[in-house]
Amino acid sequence: MVLAVFILIFFLFPIYWLGITAFKHSEDWFKWPPVLIPKSLTFNNFLGTEGGFFGGIASIATVVPYLRNSLIVAIATAFISTLISSMAAYSISRFKTGGIVFANWIISLRMLPPVAVILPLYIFFKQFGMLNTRLAIILCHLVFTTPLSTWILITFFKEIPKEMDEASYVDGASPLQCFFRIVLPLSAPGLAAVTTLAFIQSWGEFLIALLLTSNSDAQTLPVYLGRYITGFRIAWGPLAAAGLIVMIPVIVFSLLMQRYLIKGLTFGAVKG
Amino acid sequence: MKRKLLILCTYAVCVFFALGFVSLSFGSQKEEGKKAVTLNVLSSPDNADALAEISKRFIRINPDIKVEVSPVSWEVLYPQILADINAKTGAFDVCTWDLMTAGSIAKGMLDLEKFAQENPDFVDPDFNHDDFIPTAAYVYGKWEGKNIGYPFYGATMFLFYRKDYFEEPMYQAAFERMYGRKLSPPKTWEEALEVTKFFTKSENSMSPTEYGITLMFPRSHTLFYMYINWFAQMRRSSRGIAKYGDVSLDWGDLFTADKKPAFNSPEGVKAMEMMMEIMQYSPDPLGSDYGETYEAFGHGIAAMCPSWTAVLSGWKDLPELSPINDKVGVAVIPGGHPVSGGWGLGINDASKHKEAAFRFVQYATNTESDKLQWMQFRIGPTRFSVLKDPEVLADSPWMEGVYAYSLENASHRPRIPAEPKLEDIMVGTLSEILLGNKPNIADALDKLAMEWNKILGR
Amino acid sequence: MHKQKKLIALLLILPIVLLFAGLTIFPFLYMIYMSMHDYDLSESTEWNFIGLRNYTDIFKDELAISSVHFTALLIFIALPIEMVLGMFIAWLFRDMAGEKIIRSTALLPMMVPPVVAGIAWKMLFNYNFGPLNYFLSFLGIEKISWLGNEFFARTGLIVIDVWQWTPFVFLVIYSGLMSIPKELSDAAKVDGANPFKALLRVEMPILMPLISTVLIIRMIDILKLFDIVFMVTWGGPGHATHSFSYYIYKVGLSYGWNVGYASALSILLLIVVIILVNILMRILRIRELLEL
Repeated sequence: MVLAVFILIFFLFPIYWLGITAFKHSEDWFKWPPVLIPKSLTFNNFLGTEGGFFGGIASIATVVPYLRNSLIVAIATAFISTLISSMAAYSISRFKTGGIVFANWIISLRMLPPVAVILPLYIFFKQFGMLNTRLAIILCHLVFTTPLSTWILITFFKEIPKEMDEASYVDGASPLQCFFRIVLPLSAPGLAAVTTLAFIQSWGEFLIALLLTSNSDAQTLPVYLGRYITGFRIAWGPLAAAGLIVMIPVIVFSLLMQRYLIKGLTFGAVKG
Repeated sequence: MKRKLLILCTYAVCVFFALGFVSLSFGSQKEEGKKAVTLNVLSSPDNADALAEISKRFIRINPDIKVEVSPVSWEVLYPQILADINAKTGAFDVCTWDLMTAGSIAKGMLDLEKFAQENPDFVDPDFNHDDFIPTAAYVYGKWEGKNIGYPFYGATMFLFYRKDYFEEPMYQAAFERMYGRKLSPPKTWEEALEVTKFFTKSENSMSPTEYGITLMFPRSHTLFYMYINWFAQMRRSSRGIAKYGDVSLDWGDLFTADKKPAFNSPEGVKAMEMMMEIMQYSPDPLGSDYGETYEAFGHGIAAMCPSWTAVLSGWKDLPELSPINDKVGVAVIPGGHPVSGGWGLGINDASKHKEAAFRFVQYATNTESDKLQWMQFRIGPTRFSVLKDPEVLADSPWMEGVYAYSLENASHRPRIPAEPKLEDIMVGTLSEILLGNKPNIADALDKLAMEWNKILGR
Repeated sequence: MHKQKKLIALLLILPIVLLFAGLTIFPFLYMIYMSMHDYDLSESTEWNFIGLRNYTDIFKDELAISSVHFTALLIFIALPIEMVLGMFIAWLFRDMAGEKIIRSTALLPMMVPPVVAGIAWKMLFNYNFGPLNYFLSFLGIEKISWLGNEFFARTGLIVIDVWQWTPFVFLVIYSGLMSIPKELSDAAKVDGANPFKALLRVEMPILMPLISTVLIIRMIDILKLFDIVFMVTWGGPGHATHSFSYYIYKVGLSYGWNVGYASALSILLLIVVIILVNILMRILRIRELLEL
């Protein structure tokens, strides 16, 4: 039991620290001994007026366009990724389309380090005038989230007995109808799990968003945090405040969906 | 029945998502259509607040132009500027560029002088070019004859120190006893070592601070410019000038007059040795950057802090340093040749809103803005008139002496196109030397010089 | 009917194929092309064809080698810790009181975007004022320079990786444990074995495929590690914490713009990854897993 407590503290502490820093006065950000429980709190970090700053750039109001972009990109990625991967997973698991080679290729795509392909992608999007657009980011995120989703869904669909498919064919349904009416609803937990994972990944993705965008038209939250980073900026409070804002939506969403995550992530590997 | 419910739910969720996505993207498209001319100003974080304030005033005077300041961290700003210059997409209209990137971005920046000549209607008649401090006008404005920017943030490093401790009779007496001279801000790095030891608890139990100085030698471009503070002491001594020739404003202190690396020399080695010696009396030098030294000095852990002027705006709110005029003194960096920093404000050659951009850049660098950025944000002025302004002098009396002297005698980094690359490998090598991984310093610096020559195509 | 099925089957995979073909095959081919040239974006001059010289340069590049070294360090130290810790936690929390809350808490770190995690840990690692050094002082340990010392910087990154991804291992193993029919685990316990032995003898073998899967996924992700390095150490001190992906970034996208060399490095990384994963997949018999 004690062990469990230690482990939980380990997991929780950094998040807690970030959280309270967001509400600390500037002289408390760095003090020795560290201020574990602040005596007074402030909202000024959200207004960007602590630590010698003057609102304006550091104010949390500037986060709105980035929040909007992140929401659009993450939701779109999650939704489209689930759709595409479920279609492909269905095709592969039921009809063995492409065989092991195709499946292997899809799964191996997850190994792609973003940093390796970002340059050609940059040139690619430049050619089509799609730099600094949300669509470009969505497309890239899709490439990185779909493989895992497909993999998970393949194993999930495996659990659904083929007899149900057969039954629907007997009833005169086409494979497509079978997909939408039988397989999809039965695999709802798996779909939810996959959507959540894709959302988490897209929300936190940094490198692609950084390199393919240049202003708040399309930049996402992780890039927004970049404005506070390294060296010259000393605004730990506003930074923590911004970090909190970046963190909360995805945490809330994931916690809501955790039940499905747990049901859905067995990779079908557990047989009775 | 349960199954139908499940199916219905799934469809409902899908529809909800789709609607949300569609409405969000359409919503913002409508917004974008309504915008007037919007200038995208790419700015480093330390300039961003001032630029935001300046933009607000600018928009009031020019309601037809909107200005959006996009702060990006230092490490990202330069690659972004470069990427856009090469792609010619005009993703930003105006940018702050760090003075040493002048050579590498020059080709993508608009020639402001030429533009002014071709578009006299946009030129502000009150904009005084002669008011700029000559060095500033050059390093933040010109590259190979092209006028690529107007000076925005004029900067050199300063030595900030605890005036209250330095003027405390008890410490003055003790220092005089130990070192035989008066306690005052050190003029050379040798003197600095003594003062540092005096204020380090482990060396001197009566020291009020734990460390004498707080230094930033991290694995980032900070280390590159910190090195020059030491190296310049010797490079610009009369012996240094005799041996290596004058320092060119384009090639900087690390090169000889005939453009060869000057740091692979006894002087270069000595600079490293001095750094290694003094860093023992500073908290975590290799893990500290600008922010860490700010906090260390700000909470009274160190007695001295070499840094840029922007720290003053934050320190005045910290209880340890209140009231700031009594506790913090400003002196010239030991060695007498502080490294220069600063930013120019330039226009992207591929910008689609050049006229609006020009009006903005002019406004942001005129006398009024220059004074505002100092008074409110501690961003160094670049104009003579501001340095002599009575309000400025009342607020910061040291401007006249220390500031002017530092600007005139500053040391410089190279501004040539290859600079970012040269800098990065130098930081790697210097970092390894400081870590103790390269005991033969002369050898390491020689190898570095060879790499530099390779990059420079020799 | 059969033909129609086949047609629909193919149509279903069309979107995924289009997406990947456009966005991965083209970059891949373009990268191979670039890797054989000497091209520097910042100088934007001509492309010089230099064949495989970029590749041979890699082996002479001590920075590349040291980043391989650090990445390997992560795989051989961080990964085992994550796996063992994750499994241990899954077993520990299984039938505990307040399970739901504990479970939610344990999942938090992996939901935090890596960049935010980087910020939080950077504060914790602060030499002068960081809580970590504060807690260590209770154990009588002097302040550690987490970011200024090669050994500790590497340790720090390993700690962050463990912190962030153990929950993922925990999640997957936990799901696995949950889906084992109760009768099986109860039966094992009844046989007089203590809970730990029951775990070993009965449940582990069932979970083996799951464990292997997670192992592969985590290993791939470590090879891609970038965000944390960028946020916390910027690759330093010296070159101690350059992960391989981070090194590619430095060479090709930050000060370097040496796109040709960066491409060669990337291709090498891809080849290594593909080989590794294929070997692993073969060992773990993924084929059977997917029933293909």
